[in-house]
Amino acid sequence: MGPLAVNDIISSNTNFFLAFVIGIGFGFVLEQCGFSSSRKLAGLFYGYDMVVLKVFFTGGVTAMLGLLFFSLFGWVDLNLVYVNPTFLTSAIVGGLVMGFGFIMGGFCPGTSFCGAAIGKIDAMIFIVGLFIGVYFFAFGYPMFETLYKSANMGSPKISTMLDLSDGVFALILVVVALGMFYAAEWVEKKFPREEY
Amino acid sequence: MKPLHYLTLVLLILALVIAFVPQNTTRPYKLTAEQLLAEIRTGTQFVSPDEVADKIIQKDPSIQLIDVRNPREFEMFSLPGAVNIPLQDILSEGNTDVLNQGTKMNILYSNGSTEANEAWLLTRQLGYQNNYVLQGGLNYWMETILSPSKPGGVISNDEIARYDFRKAASMALGGGDVHASAAAPAASSAAPKPGVVPVKKKKKASGGC
Repeated sequence: MGPLAVNDIISSNTNFFLAFVIGIGFGFVLEQCGFSSSRKLAGLFYGYDMVVLKVFFTGGVTAMLGLLFFSLFGWVDLNLVYVNPTFLTSAIVGGLVMGFGFIMGGFCPGTSFCGAAIGKIDAMIFIVGLFIGVYFFAFGYPMFETLYKSANMGSPKISTMLDLSDGVFALILVVVALGMFYAAEWVEKKFPREEY
Repeated sequence: MKPLHYLTLVLLILALVIAFVPQNTTRPYKLTAEQLLAEIRTGTQFVSPDEVADKIIQKDPSIQLIDVRNPREFEMFSLPGAVNIPLQDILSEGNTDVLNQGTKMNILYSNGSTEANEAWLLTRQLGYQNNYVLQGGLNYWMETILSPSKPGGVISNDEIARYDFRKAASMALGGGDVHASAAAPAASSAAPKPGVVPVKKKKKASGGC
């Protein structure tokens, strides 16, 4: 019964090894989806390529359904699955910073390493910028501390907030995701761009 | 058919299934050692004999006394309305319905409080709610309820009231001449017949097709 590492079914060393393998797999899939091209990511904002949205939403929805089914079969205890606590203010501010970085640089942190791995110079520059940001935040932490820690909401679930069962909320989210996929197809036709 | 249509079909079917099956709430493991330690330290599982006596006399339907001693001891003496679930049977399937429910307050007792506490720990670890332990067990019950000793010296009104209540409870529950030293006294004739372990199984939700 999972989670494997929490319940001591696998050792932390095995856990690191699995993380390593999964990380390589993740990078490989990102590269294969074409995410190592900054045009692909920028396409999301200009509407000519919605692959990013489709891939990440498919990933999210698949993981959600997978976990719910695992829980249903008694393979994983969802209470023990670690959920990052939500700090609302820093989530909003961080989201904006990330979004601007995304559209300006054409990469997100994961895809920049993918791009660098296949020798893209813009991706390498992006990584340099990323580290400057990391150092800026780390050394300037006292400046950001109040903002960073404000509005701690614990680990809330939207399903509990809406008073729905996890399954019903999953159904709603799947319908929304599918709606977005069809809308994305339509947007791509509306704003075509031949070569990039 | 386009890949998107396949994806739509598969995701929708899976989501529909997950939306309409009941959530799996059985968990083999509920509390961490720290959480359990915190509960033990606050002692929230204990119910005082006075409280239990009061509930028995008032025939409070919301309590269920559970005797975790062996059947022989249970036959000899038990509290009114108690059912017998010996400690070694605490995990058996048939007792789950009694121990794991959200309507009644289960009060576990044994001679001392060790066995009852052990049973309580097990039920807590299984994630069951509503289980409590009779403080001090039957021995303390004998001392306080069945043959209460008159408090001596300077006593407060509270103590007098408690003594009076205990005397009255003792009368109602057939105590009085029972000595505190008797670990398992013979069942007094005034005590109601001990309850029988219910064989009732809660009906499983019968699903139609």
